Amino acid sequence: MSIDYTLDIRGESCPYPVVYTLETLKGMKQGQLLQVIVDCPSAFRNVPEEVLKHGYTMAQEPEKNGRDMIFYITA
Amino acid sequence: MRALYRRWVLSYWSPYAAMALAGILSAVYFGITKTVWAVTGEFTRLGGHVLEWFGADLSDWSYFGLVGMNGTTWTRTDGWIVWGMFVGALIMVLLNNNFKIRVPRQKRRWIQGFAGGIVAGFGARMALGCNLAAFFTGVPQFSLHAWIFMAATGIGTYLGVKLIGTKWWKGKPALSKGSIDTASQPTKRKVQPILGGIAALLYAALIVCFFATGHPMLGVAALFGAFFGICIERGQICFTSAFRDMWISGRATMTKAILAGMAVSSVATLIILLVNGMDPITKIAAPSTLIGGILFGLGIVMAGGCETGMMYRLMEGQIVFLPVFLGNVIGASFLAYAWDHMGVYDALVASGSKINLFTAWGPAGAIAATLIVLGLVFAIAAYWQKHYRFGTGFKRGESHHVN
Repeated sequence: MSIDYTLDIRGESCPYPVVYTLETLKGMKQGQLLQVIVDCPSAFRNVPEEVLKHGYTMAQEPEKNGRDMIFYITA
Repeated sequence: MRALYRRWVLSYWSPYAAMALAGILSAVYFGITKTVWAVTGEFTRLGGHVLEWFGADLSDWSYFGLVGMNGTTWTRTDGWIVWGMFVGALIMVLLNNNFKIRVPRQKRRWIQGFAGGIVAGFGARMALGCNLAAFFTGVPQFSLHAWIFMAATGIGTYLGVKLIGTKWWKGKPALSKGSIDTASQPTKRKVQPILGGIAALLYAALIVCFFATGHPMLGVAALFGAFFGICIERGQICFTSAFRDMWISGRATMTKAILAGMAVSSVATLIILLVNGMDPITKIAAPSTLIGGILFGLGIVMAGGCETGMMYRLMEGQIVFLPVFLGNVIGASFLAYAWDHMGVYDALVASGSKINLFTAWGPAGAIAATLIVLGLVFAIAAYWQKHYRFGTGFKRGESHHVN
């Protein structure tokens, strides 16, 4: 799995994790892979939900790393 | 036992379950104490106490007469609701080993949070309640002012979303090409759950103490406060996102959960009103409700959290909510000053009146009207969630990608 871009939004609270993720995905080419690292507990839930709703797919299950969460999203 | 612990302590709850439970608990709390679940009134009093320490004479500030300044925060039920919420949320965060000091990378967030906190605190108190007394517990009391406040909050959050969407406000995230090394963090021995367990035991002992020493109402407030804190933390309940996320990306999960919770709470409150023969709590509906609601909506989006959301976020270690809390107290205190010293009451409140659907239309009419309107808003939220998209709104057929 080769990751094209990484968005490190640890420390950011809502709504910025969702806004940054959707904005970044919008600027990517279809099929590219985005890695998103978040640590805001609300984002653990609303980032994957909004990503799917907007037509992108999760390339694999989210990874919990200590108190951070890592998402892998296909644009 | 272990499965129950896993389900209710170590997992997040569905926001619907969390809000329905909070709705029932708030109705029961009203039945016992004759007051509602609320927090910003206490924030105003905290501001008042600070002013008194600095030698201010509050006797001619009519707003403090209105909210009542008797005793200290430790001898008031409203005080223990606030501290109970903090403690309940903190216990849950610790048991889940989820406390982490989360520092925003962009310095502007500190100022944004502080400014938003002031605007939200000021607006909430102008309207005589925040997202609780003028919203989540106001609608079930059939007080008309809560409906005005809710609509006004919708307008305010729309303005807020326009503001935070600007480049200078939003800032830029750390975006890099390729992968970055995310060294897996070793799972050390877990200290936090032990601390959480100790905190829970100490707090339970304190509640028992209240009952044993003849302060049953403080015990009830401390207990319910903790329950409310647990509900909002486990459900990750966010009143701000219930409005804001509809405008941003059409997310309405929280909106629908809060509406459902209010419907449950309305029925529960109605039963308690009828069984106990109590009168509902009504607040003045006036131009101040509308303007206060708009300011509140704007402020909570600027701050990234409302008066309740910031409480559990702070306990999670999101320290950007410290200036928000401070701002809330300052904004509420400033409103208390402006109330009579700057003519807010005469200009915006005096013309209003207390209108209650329960007293105006009777129990059947009040509950029917409440449930119908809640149902309608729920349907709109569901439609919104299905069709509204980030960046394009309701327009269809646009590509999700650059090419």
